[in-house]
Amino acid sequence: MSGMQFGIFTVGDVTPDPLTGVAPSEAERIRAMVAIAKKAEEVGLDVFATGEHHNPPFVPSSPTTLLGYIAAQTERLILSTSTTLITTNDPVKIAEDFSMLQHLAAGRVDLMLGRGNTGPVYPWFGQDIRAAIPLTVEHYGLLRRLWREKVVDWSGQYRTPLQGFTLAPQPLDGVPPFVWHGSIRTPEVAEIAAYYGDGFFANHIFWPPSHTRRMVRLYRERFEHYGHGSGDQAIVGLGGHVFMRPNSQDAVAEFRPYFDNAPVYGHGPSLEDFAAQTPLTVGSPQQVIDRTLGFRDYAGDYQRQFFLVDHAGLPLKTVLDQLDLLGEQVIPVLRKEFQVGRPKHVPDAPTHESLVRAKTADAKPSGIQPTVQEQQS
Amino acid sequence: MTKLTVISGGLRQPSSTRLLADRITEAVEAELAKFNITASSSTIELRPLGRAIIDAMLIGFANAELESAFETVANADGLIAVTPAFNVSYSGLFKSFFDVLPQETLSDMPVLIAATGGTERHSLVLEHALRPMFSYLHAIVAPTGVYAATNDFGAQDGSVGLTERISKAANDFARLLHACGTRTRRDVFTEDLAEMERLLAAAPRPGEDGTVED
Repeated sequence: MSGMQFGIFTVGDVTPDPLTGVAPSEAERIRAMVAIAKKAEEVGLDVFATGEHHNPPFVPSSPTTLLGYIAAQTERLILSTSTTLITTNDPVKIAEDFSMLQHLAAGRVDLMLGRGNTGPVYPWFGQDIRAAIPLTVEHYGLLRRLWREKVVDWSGQYRTPLQGFTLAPQPLDGVPPFVWHGSIRTPEVAEIAAYYGDGFFANHIFWPPSHTRRMVRLYRERFEHYGHGSGDQAIVGLGGHVFMRPNSQDAVAEFRPYFDNAPVYGHGPSLEDFAAQTPLTVGSPQQVIDRTLGFRDYAGDYQRQFFLVDHAGLPLKTVLDQLDLLGEQVIPVLRKEFQVGRPKHVPDAPTHESLVRAKTADAKPSGIQPTVQEQQS
Repeated sequence: MTKLTVISGGLRQPSSTRLLADRITEAVEAELAKFNITASSSTIELRPLGRAIIDAMLIGFANAELESAFETVANADGLIAVTPAFNVSYSGLFKSFFDVLPQETLSDMPVLIAATGGTERHSLVLEHALRPMFSYLHAIVAPTGVYAATNDFGAQDGSVGLTERISKAANDFARLLHACGTRTRRDVFTEDLAEMERLLAAAPRPGEDGTVED
């Protein structure tokens, strides 16, 4: 796998199908997520990412359990999150869970960190949403140390201190999972990603591209500022939101009731207005190809493209059809076309193997992890 | 040059709320002229934006037309905000516009509040509804607002009274605008970024404790 990675990200919502009024059970939804992930590998996608939620109507409260189960039934698929809550999860538990998953999945693991914006989740986990930003900085600072230092002595404001803590298991091959930081339009997230030279994932969907343009530009500028390489070498991921049928009118007609009743945007603007204002593309595979290739115009050459395909009560069979169309007609063309004109110095999407190679080649892998000296110069 | 933005929450055409907004705007421009300040004004009618305002509330972002209205507000040196009084308060549409307006847009902005209503009995809507909302939004609310009842537009006595009240409010607002001068627009994006930079700089860097990466 070189160049860009293509995958799907799921929210894990349990939503009634508006055509029948019937919602899947939690068990059915969880099994559907597994089926969708396995299908993603089968049709040639690179990544499956799950959201993390701690309230109904969402099911994925325990992402590494789900991803571990999927890892056992796949060979090639990279398992990721969208997002892992860096605020309300204990960074020690994140370090342990993803370290364990790395070993089980033989390195096919990365993760995307996010803050979470559901107010009550913070107090449920003993935190305060008003401190979300300093909490993110402190928790992530600790998480990085847990994955990189043998023995950690640590004290901070938001977690009980650690004395002589050693993570077990240690990260596979001594290489922590690659970290993305996910955001819609929060400049702080672009800043932390740039500061550490981590990946930046612009959620992109449900919002006008102007937000994405601004956030990616900021991230690239700050990435360069912190000395990780030139701006166009920063690691960028984008979301996408599609519904396809071979004939575009069929796609619109079939998707409209799901659009009109969707939890996020339902009962608001028309499908046509929303599709014009956000990356949502409802139409033929060719329309999805054209729209997606256009993302490069405002995000630059990038590393990872996710699609949202299983939400708003769409039946499993329909979602699997979408994956067939993505795998057969869309992704092969995108893989090829995104390579056209892509400068040689733009990095490929990071994988465990590439991180291990970088570590072996150089004790201080450039572009991935800054040294203290580089930051201070 | 002082840039005035005028919000009119009137629903009908012609609208007495718009009529009041126009009269106040003219009066403020005349008062500013006494300070040798030229003013330009842009009026935003909320009715054509109604659907966009509700969409923005539901999906979290504004369409191009509403975004342009937000920009007009954000770039103003002063705001004249006029609503009809509905059910002892501002109208829902008027409130909704300010509910979806990006945070801190009105920070430090001089605002003249005004309302229309069927009878004089509702005049305190200025003090119990509009003023607290704009104070919450960190605006600098002019001490004198204008309330116009239907009678103010008809009866001779009333109409004289309204003109005087508009002049008084316009004079107070012009002095406030003059004192505040050209407004510097707040950039929350850059402020947040600067705060994050400070936080990260204070965070311990990996490996700094002398422990070794293996």
